[in-house]
Parts: sequence; structure tokens; C-alpha cells
Amino acid sequence: MITKQLIDQIEGEASVYFDMKDDMVDFATIAFPHFRGIESILKGKNALDALVITPRVCGICGHAHLMATVRAIEDAYKNAGYSIELSKKVEIIREFTLVMEMIQNHFKWIYLTIIPEVAKLSNSTQEQTPLKGAYAASIASKAIAVFAGQWPHSSYMIPGGITTDPTNIDLLKVESYMDELVGFFEKESIGISLDRFLSFESCKDFANLDSDVSLLESSLMDLNMNEKGFAYDRFLVIGEHLFTKPSKLKQTRAFSIDSKYVNTVDAYSPDQVSYAKNAQYKNLFYETGPLSRAIASKLPIVKNMHRRFKDSAYSRVMARVFELATLLQHAKKLLSEIDISQKSYLKNVDISKITAKGVGVVEAPRGPLLHTINIKDGIIQEYKIVTPTQFNIGSSTQENPTPAQKAMQGVTKQEALFIFRTFDVCSVCTTH
Amino acid sequence: MHSKQDKKPSIIWFQGLTCNGNTHSFLNLENLEKLLDKFEIYSHPSLSSIQNFHTITECSLECDIFIFEGTYDPLMKRNDVLVSKIVEYYAKCAKYIIAVGSCASFGGVFKASAPERNSGILFNEQEKSGPLLDYDSKVINISGCPIHPEWLAYTLGMIEKGREVEVDSLHRPIELYSNLAHHGCTRNEYFEWKVDTDGFGEKEGCLYYKQGCRAPMTHASCNKILWNEVSSKTRVGTPCFGCTEPDFPRSNLFSTKTNMSIPEDVPLGVPKRSYLTMAGIAKTFHIKRLEGKLIDYKTAD
Repeated sequence: MITKQLIDQIEGEASVYFDMKDDMVDFATIAFPHFRGIESILKGKNALDALVITPRVCGICGHAHLMATVRAIEDAYKNAGYSIELSKKVEIIREFTLVMEMIQNHFKWIYLTIIPEVAKLSNSTQEQTPLKGAYAASIASKAIAVFAGQWPHSSYMIPGGITTDPTNIDLLKVESYMDELVGFFEKESIGISLDRFLSFESCKDFANLDSDVSLLESSLMDLNMNEKGFAYDRFLVIGEHLFTKPSKLKQTRAFSIDSKYVNTVDAYSPDQVSYAKNAQYKNLFYETGPLSRAIASKLPIVKNMHRRFKDSAYSRVMARVFELATLLQHAKKLLSEIDISQKSYLKNVDISKITAKGVGVVEAPRGPLLHTINIKDGIIQEYKIVTPTQFNIGSSTQENPTPAQKAMQGVTKQEALFIFRTFDVCSVCTTH
Repeated sequence: MHSKQDKKPSIIWFQGLTCNGNTHSFLNLENLEKLLDKFEIYSHPSLSSIQNFHTITECSLECDIFIFEGTYDPLMKRNDVLVSKIVEYYAKCAKYIIAVGSCASFGGVFKASAPERNSGILFNEQEKSGPLLDYDSKVINISGCPIHPEWLAYTLGMIEKGREVEVDSLHRPIELYSNLAHHGCTRNEYFEWKVDTDGFGEKEGCLYYKQGCRAPMTHASCNKILWNEVSSKTRVGTPCFGCTEPDFPRSNLFSTKTNMSIPEDVPLGVPKRSYLTMAGIAKTFHIKRLEGKLIDYKTAD
């Protein structure tokens, strides 16, 4: 018998249809309702208007959409014969604000989603502190807003640069937000200094800490999540950034990658209309996101964790915690490298002179985000968006399941619902 | 006024067609916990809630404040129940209805998903023809894409204290929307003397003449109540896109439509002829201080 489970309190809404066998999940399909049609809304608009519209795809990762759009338009400029140069300052500030958006996402996911869900599953009485996540995220958002004017829904990245021209006053302010955020993470989340935490090589090092993360880690172990929730053990990183390496990975073996091999196929969702297409790489499903990025960049603790627990639900959750730590460190380094005397913006030919196609790829909190724009005389002819959740949480057939469908097989329904959330579901992005 | 013994006002935050931007913007509120303590959160898209979502869609309980986020699509279903049914039910029993964001207020970005049927809950763009006409007097629109968390905190705070929230003709609280986004802009002197900015990425110059800035025509307190407590679009050189107004999103957002190099849309309420005369005179002046760089880091070395 097929039973339906509504999933709310993710970004948007989803339904999972379970087919149970002996109280274990035999197969599950996933439907994402609520189509918004952003791609068709963009058609016929001035290409620069996409910088305002696409951040509105998603309230939690709109900045990643902004960066994918600006990269797509800059690629179109290049393909039209007008290469765009960016100053080092522009590259650093763009990457900094993108990283800070990931940081706010991960804080919210840990405190508003995963800790409460672990508690539900284990009937633990661990004190719930969702507002810690909101607090940390709000500090990260302030740091973004100093450069980007506001978060969510900024449009401060434009072809050729950024609209802002920061001063040392701004830099000092952002540095103090970073200190506050790192201090919070050390005191509340990990219970040890960031440097020490990043020097860990084994998850066993968590055992003696007294912190939110060590409690989370031991609960995951108690729930045997290190033996559950396996997907394909294949990973995909496509966005070019300083904090990871674009690659296709089979276990930990890395291969080169080209975004042109990303393809989408219709979802298989027999019980309800789903507006999400499945995303693949050369017709194969891959997992994307923090675990993939950490394996691609050969982070020692995640490599060690993967050797022992493969791509289990445990690894997926803990990789995200580790990514949060590495991104905090990376963000501090980026800040120290900003030279405010460099140009914020270099003028280009008017967008109306551009007739070309462009592709923009970034790593969003949940994995690769691809925007493809087709421009004629500055006007959008076609716009296509592929989001990370389409890679992770598509819905396919039992013979060829998506990573999330595969990870939910052979466990109880309650466990499957938890495993579903370990992918960090973004329904709103998926049904753009 | 609510004394300690009084029951706290209950809130249901419900979503139509949305990006979740208002939900996330609200989570940025400073002292969020203090505000939430004053209410019973029956349902919220991401915060811990007393009721589960299933119960909310069954339409069997009542709430004091019904918050709606997102564009209203009469054919949309949540948990297999028509949103139109859910909205009608809570609109009837709630004392206050708050539309958060421009989608819920006027239709916003996602009106274009199905322009013939999508709208805000009370307004369809500037026309009052949404589904909650019968509950007109209960509706407060907090427009903006997204909302500023303090705008919602203000509205909830006023309701909790039993004070009346006065609204404008578009049902927006006048204390928040009588200002223009232009008020408090750090580029005001450049606006006064008609000195435009050259491209982007400059501290100097006004964005109204070439870059499409809508701040002099947009009701919003963005430069008075700063975003994330630190900044605003115009302060970081991004033009205002007029996201609190019923016609958001307009087209060609990064350029100003001009007539003989004067913006076609002049500052709100200013007669066009007076503006042209004044701007024409101001443009003949050459003020060296406003034409140079404010700070030159290279020469400062």
C-alpha cells in the first residue's frame, strides 16, 4: 500500500509516497507541488532584470542565484566577443558574500531542522534551541548586508563588478561580525576553538566535547545513522570557487568535469504531479552539496569519516557541520585579502549590444546551481535554471532511483523521513 | 493591553506561492525571541509551532492574527486543500490579517506565473479586487520584496499592545510607508545638485538619473530603518527597484527612462514642469567637490 507523507518546514512543501514492505521502506517517490514559472517570467525581459528576478527564486539561497545570473551574463558577454574583467577585490567580495549565505543556511539547518528532527527520532529530551540558528544566521546576514545592502534579495552583483565601494569602516564592521560569529560557533556549537576543531582527523575526537555538535554527533551514532541512508557514493561539484574543487567523484576518486554534460529528465511521480525535473550528469545520478565538496577538496576528517561510514546519513550531516567550520575560516581569510583601492566596477558595452548564450555555475548551499541565459540584443530569449535539489532529491523509478530515493530504502518510515531531510531540501528552488 | 494573565495573541503564518524570502527576512529580527514570547505561534514555515501543518489545513481552529506570505493563486492547494478555502476560513475568524511581502500585498513577482488569476489577498496590483474584499478592514499590507523584519515587528507590536495601526489607501501602515526610500539616502546631496553617478561601484553620485533608482517615487523606510541594521540598496550603490509598490517588478530595472536627459518619472508629487526648470538650472552649475572622488585611497598612500 502506498502512504503519503506531507513534508513541511522545509523550504517550501514536498510529499513523499512510501511503498512499505515488512515495515521497511521498499520504495518512495517524491513530489514537489507549487510551480512558479520563473524561467518564463524572465523571457522577453532585459537581461539585467534577471539580477533582480532570480534572487527571488529562493529566500534562503537567493544570493547564489544572483551570482549564477551574473556569471551567466558575463559568460554571454565573453561569448559575444566582449570579455569582462573583474578586479581581485570584486572576486573576493562576491565569494565572501556567497560563503556567508552558505554559513547562514547551515546554521539554520543545524538548529532549526536537524537537531529537532534527531530529537524527534530518538525521543531525546535535549533542549531545543532553534533561535540559536536564527541568531547566528542574522549575524552572517549583517556581514552580507554591509557589502550587498541587504539580505535576503540583494542585487549588488552586476556584470563587470559590484555596485558597492566599501571603506575601511565597512571592513572593520564585517570583521567584528565575523569575530562574533566565530565566537558563537566555538562557544555554542562546537565547544572548542575553531582551529582545534579544524585540526581534528577523526570523529572520535568529538567524544570529549560538551557542545551542540557533539550531542548531535552522538545522537546520530545512537540512531545508527552511520549505517543508514547510503546513496550512490558518487559526488558532483561543478561551481568554480576557492573553497572546493570542481570534480566528479566515484567514492574518493576524482575526475574532471564540464557543466555541459548536466542533463535533466522528467520526474517519475505517479501519485501526484511534480514540477521538478531530475538533474543528472551524463545520465547518472550524483549526490551534491557539502559532503561532495569536502570529499572533492580532500578535507582530512571527512575523508576519514567517508572511509568508515561512506555516504551515510551520518556523513552527510557531519560534513555540513565541517563545511560550516571551514567556510568560517575561509571567510576570515577572504576578508583579510580585500584591497579597497581596487576598482569595484569596470564599464562594459551596453547589454543591448549582446547577442549570445551564457552559462553561470556556482556552488549553492546544497550543491551546483546552473543558470543558462540566451540573449538577443540584450533581451532574454530563454532562461534555464537547474538547482541542487534536482540532483539530490529527484523522483525516479525503482530500478533507477535518485540519491534521496536510494538513501530512503530499507529503513523505517520515520528514519526515511529523517534521511530525506539530511539532504537539506529546498522545494522552492526545485519548483522555480 | 494584555496583562500576564491574558491569553497571548495567536498567530498562523501561512504561505501561498512564495520564495520564503519574507520568512527568512523575519528571522533576521534583532531580539526575535522577545517578540515571539508575546505570541502563541500556532504555525510558522520554519519556527517551532504548537500545531502541525496538517491541523492548520483542516480549518478547525481559530487564530487572532493570520499572516499570509506569497502570491494568492486560487487554484493552489496546500496539503491537498485549496488555499482559497484556507484563506477564507482564517480571514473570517482572525481579528487581523497581515499580508507579508509584495506578493501577498499586490501579487508581486509571482503574479506573472498566472497573471489572469493570481493576485494579492486584498489587492490585485493597485486595484482592490482580491479575494478578501469582505474582510477589507482587517487587512494590513506590509509590502516589500522581501519585508523588512522590523516592519512586521512594528505591526505585531502595535497589535499586541492594542494600539491602532493606521494605514494608507493601499492598506500599508502609514508610519512605515509615508516615507520615501529616498529619505535618508546618503547620496541626497548628489540628488539635490543633479550629479549622476558614472556607471556603478562608486561612492559618489545619484542613481536616479541613469541607473533606474526608484527611491524618489517609492514609499518605504529603507534608508530610515536600515536593512539588517547596517545598510540599504542605495547605500551600497544599488538602485531602488520600487519593491514596495504595486507595480513591482517593473522592467528595465537598471536604467532610467529619460526625456531630454531628465527622468520621465519625476519625484513623487513634484510638478513635472517645476522639476524640469529646477533640474535644468542645477545642471548648469559645476560643483567641483561633488564632481571629484570623496576619498582617493591611492593618493592617501
